[in-house]
Amino acid sequence: MKADLLKQFLMSEGATLVGIGDVSEALSREIVHLNRGIAIAVNRSLNRETVEILSRLQGLTVEWLSARGFRNLSIPPDSDRRKDKLITKLYKLFCHKTAATCSGLGWVGKNGLVINRQYGSKLSWATVLTNAPLVPDQPVRESECGDCDLCVTHCPSGAVKGHHWSLREPGRKLVAYEKCAALKNVRQSLEGKPNCGFCVTVCPFSRNGKKKAVNG
Amino acid sequence: MADEARKKEILEKLRNGVIQYDEDACREGANEALEAGLDANEAIFDGLVSGMEEVGRLFEAQEYFVPEILMCADALYAGLDILKPHCKQMDLGVKGSVVIGTVEGDVHDIGKNLVKMMFDVAGFQVYDLGRDVPLDKFVDEQMKTDSELVCLSAMMTTSMVGMPKVIEKIKAKNPNCMIMIGGAPTSKDLADKWGADGYAEDASNALKEAIKMVAFLKKLRDEKAAKQ
Repeated sequence: MKADLLKQFLMSEGATLVGIGDVSEALSREIVHLNRGIAIAVNRSLNRETVEILSRLQGLTVEWLSARGFRNLSIPPDSDRRKDKLITKLYKLFCHKTAATCSGLGWVGKNGLVINRQYGSKLSWATVLTNAPLVPDQPVRESECGDCDLCVTHCPSGAVKGHHWSLREPGRKLVAYEKCAALKNVRQSLEGKPNCGFCVTVCPFSRNGKKKAVNG
Repeated sequence: MADEARKKEILEKLRNGVIQYDEDACREGANEALEAGLDANEAIFDGLVSGMEEVGRLFEAQEYFVPEILMCADALYAGLDILKPHCKQMDLGVKGSVVIGTVEGDVHDIGKNLVKMMFDVAGFQVYDLGRDVPLDKFVDEQMKTDSELVCLSAMMTTSMVGMPKVIEKIKAKNPNCMIMIGGAPTSKDLADKWGADGYAEDASNALKEAIKMVAFLKKLRDEKAAKQ
């Protein structure tokens, strides 16, 4: 089943990127029948209300799949904060990074975030899992961070370890999140906003592909 | 009174909304039911619950899996939240209150939440203690709320061992309180051995058992009152 129609439809409705991933290998027992991950990305730097936009796009995806008789499970963009329903318990079984890498939209950078060649880490993600036999895109298997260590050296909490991600080692710990969280707490109390975001802004891929200018 | 065709259409919408885990359809159906003057209890039982029964069947047939069940339950709640305030006294013959939770050491609460949903549907007052609940909390909460029923859930053998302690403590303080246990590692034999009054392997069984028990308890009380 071709995915072009669905992709074009979602792009026309405001998605920055849409990819289809074969996520069979990343699924736990409860969701093993939903082996396609539709990764939907929206560029945060162009849109204020990314969570709203992504939720709307997810809704459209669900309608599209249901109308064709397929199952769906939406993992919302803010899945870690959602506690209001029974299904929210299952969100932690799947992460957006898996759908993003399996659908070839990026790799997990040293900063622990999905990096896309064109948009870097400036994308927000939502996933719809489905049993629709959509033709999957080619996955990204290895990190393309190379020798770049900018996020490692600029992280104010020293949380970024500098390891390379690989699809073969999805569980490897790239970021000491406890250090990052500790700094977030301090920032929250001092400035009222927790995220410093250096690991996003410093990434050459996030700066509109100015990789050479930074590295060279 | 709504005409029959319209009524059937609305009930069907509620039922299908649950089966197709479509929260919006359930909300719409619930609002339409109220506008059309349908009895809220009827909308719940012949619409939403009827859909959930079909979901149970699909689950048994391995058509549906855990995520679908949970999304269907969410859809049921979406409709229930709208209909509930319009419910008259439930026509189940009994109305009770229940303390429910997953015992200490166990963070699995999907089954517990489904059982809770059935109690919500049936109009019970539900005191949900959540998951990983310290054993004494069940005893305290039962005393505080004077609930007729306590439901203990466990998914793991290691946490299930806390159940007999709770049963013993509650029965010591309040012999009339009924206790149900449920969850994958539990069984009828264990329930009997530990002195629990009921055992339920799944949500719809739990409700049936619970209603039976509360009815029995009410009868006992009535008989006692009649003698005095």
